[in-house]
Amino acid sequence: MYGEISFPGQHDNENIILFLRRHWFIFLKRFLIVLAAIIALGVIYILINVATPNLRESEFNNLLLFGESLATLFIWNMFFILWLDFYLDAWIVTNERIINIEQKGFFSRNISELKLTKVQDVTSEIIGVIPTLLDYGNIYVQTAGEIERFTFYEIPNPNFVKNTIVQLQEKEKKSEESELGKAIRGELN
Amino acid sequence: MQQIISLAYLLLIFVFLAMGGAIIFHLLFYRINRHVASIMSIIYIIGSIALLISNFTMFRAVDWYHLAFSTGL
Repeated sequence: MYGEISFPGQHDNENIILFLRRHWFIFLKRFLIVLAAIIALGVIYILINVATPNLRESEFNNLLLFGESLATLFIWNMFFILWLDFYLDAWIVTNERIINIEQKGFFSRNISELKLTKVQDVTSEIIGVIPTLLDYGNIYVQTAGEIERFTFYEIPNPNFVKNTIVQLQEKEKKSEESELGKAIRGELN
Repeated sequence: MQQIISLAYLLLIFVFLAMGGAIIFHLLFYRINRHVASIMSIIYIIGSIALLISNFTMFRAVDWYHLAFSTGL
Protein backbone atom coordinates (compact mmCIF):
# COMPACT_ATOMS: atom_id res chain seq x y z
CA MET A 1 0.00 0.00 0.00
CA TYR A 2 2.87 2.40 0.81
CA GLY A 3 5.37 0.92 -1.68
CA GLU A 4 6.26 4.33 -3.12
CA ILE A 5 7.00 5.76 0.32
CA SER A 6 10.38 5.54 1.99
CA PHE A 7 11.95 7.42 4.88
CA PRO A 8 15.51 7.85 6.16
CA GLY A 9 16.68 5.04 8.46
CA GLN A 10 14.04 2.52 7.38
CA HIS A 11 14.91 -1.02 8.51
CA ASP A 12 14.92 -3.99 6.12
CA ASN A 13 11.89 -5.77 7.55
CA GLU A 14 10.06 -2.65 8.60
CA ASN A 15 6.59 -2.32 7.07
CA ILE A 16 4.72 0.96 6.93
CA ILE A 17 1.28 0.46 8.50
CA LEU A 18 0.09 4.07 8.43
CA PHE A 19 1.44 7.08 6.62
CA LEU A 20 -0.15 10.27 7.87
CA ARG A 21 -0.11 13.91 6.92
CA ARG A 22 -2.22 16.79 8.14
CA HIS A 23 -5.81 16.74 6.89
CA TRP A 24 -6.37 18.22 3.39
CA PHE A 25 -8.52 20.96 4.94
CA ILE A 26 -5.40 22.35 6.67
CA PHE A 27 -3.71 22.72 3.28
CA LEU A 28 -6.90 24.22 1.83
CA LYS A 29 -6.84 26.90 4.56
CA ARG A 30 -3.26 27.78 3.59
CA PHE A 31 -4.12 27.65 -0.11
CA LEU A 32 -6.84 30.24 0.49
CA ILE A 33 -4.07 32.74 1.35
CA VAL A 34 -2.52 32.16 -2.09
CA LEU A 35 -5.94 32.39 -3.73
CA ALA A 36 -6.65 35.65 -1.88
CA ALA A 37 -3.33 37.09 -3.11
CA ILE A 38 -4.18 36.16 -6.74
CA ILE A 39 -7.67 37.67 -6.42
CA ALA A 40 -6.15 40.80 -4.84
CA LEU A 41 -3.87 41.21 -7.87
CA GLY A 42 -6.86 40.99 -10.22
CA VAL A 43 -8.87 43.42 -8.11
CA ILE A 44 -5.98 45.93 -7.99
CA TYR A 45 -5.63 45.78 -11.79
CA ILE A 46 -9.37 46.30 -12.34
CA LEU A 47 -9.59 49.12 -9.77
CA ILE A 48 -6.64 51.01 -11.27
CA ASN A 49 -8.13 50.57 -14.77
CA VAL A 50 -11.49 51.90 -13.58
CA ALA A 51 -9.89 54.83 -11.76
CA THR A 52 -7.75 55.83 -14.77
CA PRO A 53 -9.61 55.19 -18.04
CA ASN A 54 -6.63 56.18 -20.23
CA LEU A 55 -4.24 53.80 -18.48
CA ARG A 56 -4.04 51.35 -21.43
CA GLU A 57 -2.68 54.08 -23.69
CA SER A 58 -0.17 55.34 -21.11
CA GLU A 59 3.29 53.99 -20.27
CA PHE A 60 2.05 53.13 -16.75
CA ASN A 61 0.03 50.19 -18.09
CA ASN A 62 3.20 48.21 -18.80
CA LEU A 63 4.55 49.17 -15.37
CA LEU A 64 1.38 47.90 -13.72
CA LEU A 65 1.53 44.64 -15.68
CA PHE A 66 5.21 44.23 -14.78
CA GLY A 67 4.42 44.79 -11.07
CA GLU A 68 1.60 42.25 -11.19
CA SER A 69 3.84 39.75 -12.99
CA LEU A 70 6.57 40.22 -10.36
CA ALA A 71 4.03 39.67 -7.58
CA THR A 72 2.84 36.49 -9.37
CA LEU A 73 6.41 35.16 -9.32
CA PHE A 74 6.55 35.45 -5.53
CA ILE A 75 3.01 34.09 -5.08
CA TRP A 76 4.10 31.06 -7.12
CA ASN A 77 7.00 30.54 -4.69
CA MET A 78 4.73 31.10 -1.70
CA PHE A 79 2.36 28.37 -2.92
CA PHE A 80 5.21 25.87 -3.17
CA ILE A 81 6.61 26.85 0.24
CA LEU A 82 3.18 26.26 1.82
CA TRP A 83 2.79 23.00 -0.07
CA LEU A 84 6.28 21.84 1.01
CA ASP A 85 5.50 22.62 4.63
CA PHE A 86 2.39 20.45 4.31
CA TYR A 87 4.07 17.71 2.27
CA LEU A 88 7.20 17.33 4.41
CA ASP A 89 5.35 17.08 7.74
CA ALA A 90 4.56 13.40 8.18
CA TRP A 91 3.90 10.76 10.78
CA ILE A 92 4.76 7.17 9.94
CA VAL A 93 3.52 4.21 11.94
CA THR A 94 5.43 1.03 11.16
CA ASN A 95 5.25 -2.43 12.72
CA GLU A 96 8.20 -1.41 14.95
CA ARG A 97 7.94 2.31 15.75
CA ILE A 98 6.34 5.69 15.22
CA ILE A 99 8.31 8.30 13.30
CA ASN A 100 7.57 12.01 13.41
CA ILE A 101 9.03 14.10 10.57
CA GLU A 102 8.50 17.80 11.11
CA GLN A 103 9.55 20.54 8.73
CA LYS A 104 9.63 24.10 10.07
CA GLY A 105 10.19 26.48 7.16
CA PHE A 106 13.40 26.06 5.19
CA PHE A 107 16.38 24.18 6.64
CA SER A 108 14.77 23.27 9.95
CA ARG A 109 13.82 19.61 10.06
CA ASN A 110 13.10 17.53 13.11
CA ILE A 111 12.85 13.73 12.96
CA SER A 112 12.00 11.82 16.11
CA GLU A 113 11.01 8.22 16.66
CA LEU A 114 9.41 6.14 19.32
CA LYS A 115 9.40 2.35 19.72
CA LEU A 116 5.92 0.88 19.93
CA THR A 117 6.88 -1.04 23.08
CA LYS A 118 7.57 2.29 24.85
CA VAL A 119 4.02 3.54 24.24
CA GLN A 120 2.01 3.78 27.44
CA ASP A 121 -1.05 5.75 26.54
CA VAL A 122 -2.66 7.01 23.33
CA THR A 123 -5.24 9.82 23.34
CA SER A 124 -7.17 11.17 20.37
CA GLU A 125 -8.73 14.61 20.38
CA ILE A 126 -11.21 16.26 18.02
CA ILE A 127 -12.10 19.83 18.96
CA GLY A 128 -14.36 22.15 16.98
CA VAL A 129 -17.18 22.01 14.46
CA ILE A 130 -15.12 21.66 11.26
CA PRO A 131 -12.76 19.00 12.73
CA THR A 132 -15.82 17.03 13.90
CA LEU A 133 -17.52 17.28 10.50
CA LEU A 134 -14.36 16.44 8.53
CA ASP A 135 -13.08 13.96 11.13
CA TYR A 136 -9.62 15.26 11.86
CA GLY A 137 -7.80 16.00 15.09
CA ASN A 138 -4.74 15.46 17.25
CA ILE A 139 -3.30 12.30 18.77
CA TYR A 140 -1.11 12.34 21.86
CA VAL A 141 1.15 9.37 22.50
CA GLN A 142 2.49 9.19 26.04
CA THR A 143 5.72 7.33 26.56
CA ALA A 144 7.09 5.62 29.64
CA GLY A 145 9.19 7.89 31.83
CA GLU A 146 9.11 10.88 29.52
CA ILE A 147 7.38 14.16 30.18
CA GLU A 148 7.10 15.18 26.55
CA ARG A 149 4.34 13.68 24.52
CA PHE A 150 4.54 12.56 20.93
CA THR A 151 1.90 14.55 19.08
CA PHE A 152 0.26 13.98 15.72
CA TYR A 153 -1.27 17.27 14.61
CA GLU A 154 -4.52 17.62 12.65
CA ILE A 155 -4.47 14.16 11.12
CA PRO A 156 -7.47 12.51 9.45
CA ASN A 157 -9.41 9.73 11.27
CA PRO A 158 -7.71 10.18 14.68
CA ASN A 159 -9.83 7.52 16.38
CA PHE A 160 -8.94 4.90 13.79
CA VAL A 161 -5.26 5.84 14.04
CA LYS A 162 -5.38 5.67 17.84
CA ASN A 163 -6.93 2.18 17.73
CA THR A 164 -4.36 1.01 15.19
CA ILE A 165 -1.47 2.26 17.34
CA VAL A 166 -2.92 0.57 20.44
CA GLN A 167 -3.37 -2.73 18.55
CA LEU A 168 0.16 -2.56 17.13
CA GLN A 169 1.57 -1.71 20.55
CA GLU A 170 -0.19 -4.69 22.16
CA LYS A 171 1.00 -6.99 19.35
CA GLU A 172 4.58 -5.73 19.63
CA LYS A 173 4.53 -6.04 23.42
CA LYS A 174 3.21 -9.64 23.23
CA SER A 175 5.85 -10.58 20.68
CA GLU A 176 8.56 -9.01 22.85
CA GLU A 177 7.28 -10.87 25.92
CA SER A 178 7.15 -14.16 24.03
CA GLU A 179 10.71 -13.63 22.76
CA LEU A 180 11.84 -12.83 26.30
CA GLY A 181 10.07 -15.98 27.56
CA LYS A 182 11.80 -18.05 24.91
CA ALA A 183 15.15 -16.59 25.88
CA ILE A 184 14.58 -17.35 29.57
CA ARG A 185 13.40 -20.90 28.84
CA GLY A 186 16.42 -21.37 26.59
CA GLU A 187 18.68 -20.24 29.36
CA LEU A 188 16.95 -22.49 31.91
CA ASN A 189 17.15 -25.51 29.59
CA MET B 1 18.54 55.50 -13.60
CA GLN B 2 18.10 52.55 -15.94
CA GLN B 3 21.08 50.84 -14.31
CA ILE B 4 19.68 51.25 -10.80
CA ILE B 5 16.32 49.77 -11.91
CA SER B 6 18.07 46.90 -13.68
CA LEU B 7 20.16 46.22 -10.57
CA ALA B 8 17.07 46.26 -8.31
CA TYR B 9 15.29 43.92 -10.74
CA LEU B 10 18.30 41.60 -10.81
CA LEU B 11 18.30 41.53 -7.00
CA LEU B 12 14.61 40.56 -6.91
CA ILE B 13 15.18 37.82 -9.47
CA PHE B 14 18.13 36.59 -7.43
CA VAL B 15 15.91 36.38 -4.32
CA PHE B 16 13.31 34.48 -6.37
CA LEU B 17 15.94 32.08 -7.69
CA ALA B 18 17.38 31.53 -4.20
CA MET B 19 13.93 30.64 -2.90
CA GLY B 20 13.41 28.41 -5.94
CA GLY B 21 16.70 26.66 -5.29
CA ALA B 22 15.66 25.98 -1.69
CA ILE B 23 12.29 24.62 -2.86
CA ILE B 24 13.90 22.26 -5.39
CA PHE B 25 16.47 21.16 -2.80
CA HIS B 26 13.72 20.30 -0.29
CA LEU B 27 11.63 18.55 -2.95
CA LEU B 28 14.45 16.36 -4.20
CA PHE B 29 16.57 15.88 -1.08
CA TYR B 30 13.81 15.10 1.44
CA ARG B 31 11.56 13.24 -0.97
CA ILE B 32 9.26 10.92 0.91
CA ASN B 33 7.42 9.87 -2.21
CA ARG B 34 9.65 9.92 -5.31
CA HIS B 35 6.74 10.06 -7.74
CA VAL B 36 5.09 13.09 -6.11
CA ALA B 37 8.44 14.87 -5.60
CA SER B 38 9.43 14.41 -9.26
CA ILE B 39 6.06 15.62 -10.61
CA MET B 40 5.99 18.66 -8.32
CA SER B 41 9.61 19.53 -9.22
CA ILE B 42 8.76 19.43 -12.93
CA ILE B 43 5.63 21.57 -12.39
CA TYR B 44 7.65 24.06 -10.33
CA ILE B 45 10.51 24.33 -12.83
CA ILE B 46 8.25 24.68 -15.91
CA GLY B 47 6.00 27.21 -14.15
CA SER B 48 8.96 29.22 -12.87
CA ILE B 49 10.62 29.38 -16.29
CA ALA B 50 7.34 30.49 -17.94
CA LEU B 51 6.76 33.15 -15.27
CA LEU B 52 10.36 34.37 -15.43
CA ILE B 53 10.24 34.70 -19.24
CA SER B 54 6.93 36.59 -19.12
CA ASN B 55 8.23 38.81 -16.31
CA PHE B 56 11.43 39.62 -18.16
CA THR B 57 9.41 40.42 -21.31
CA MET B 58 7.28 42.81 -19.27
CA PHE B 59 10.35 44.36 -17.69
CA ARG B 60 11.70 45.05 -21.19
CA ALA B 61 8.33 46.42 -22.32
CA VAL B 62 8.34 49.14 -19.67
CA ASP B 63 9.77 52.43 -20.93
CA TRP B 64 11.81 53.16 -17.79
CA TYR B 65 13.48 56.26 -19.23
CA HIS B 66 10.17 57.84 -20.21
CA LEU B 67 8.62 56.85 -16.87
CA ALA B 68 11.48 58.40 -14.91
CA PHE B 69 11.24 61.54 -17.04
CA SER B 70 7.44 61.87 -16.66
CA THR B 71 7.49 61.26 -12.90
CA GLY B 72 10.28 63.79 -12.44
CA LEU B 73 12.89 61.31 -11.25
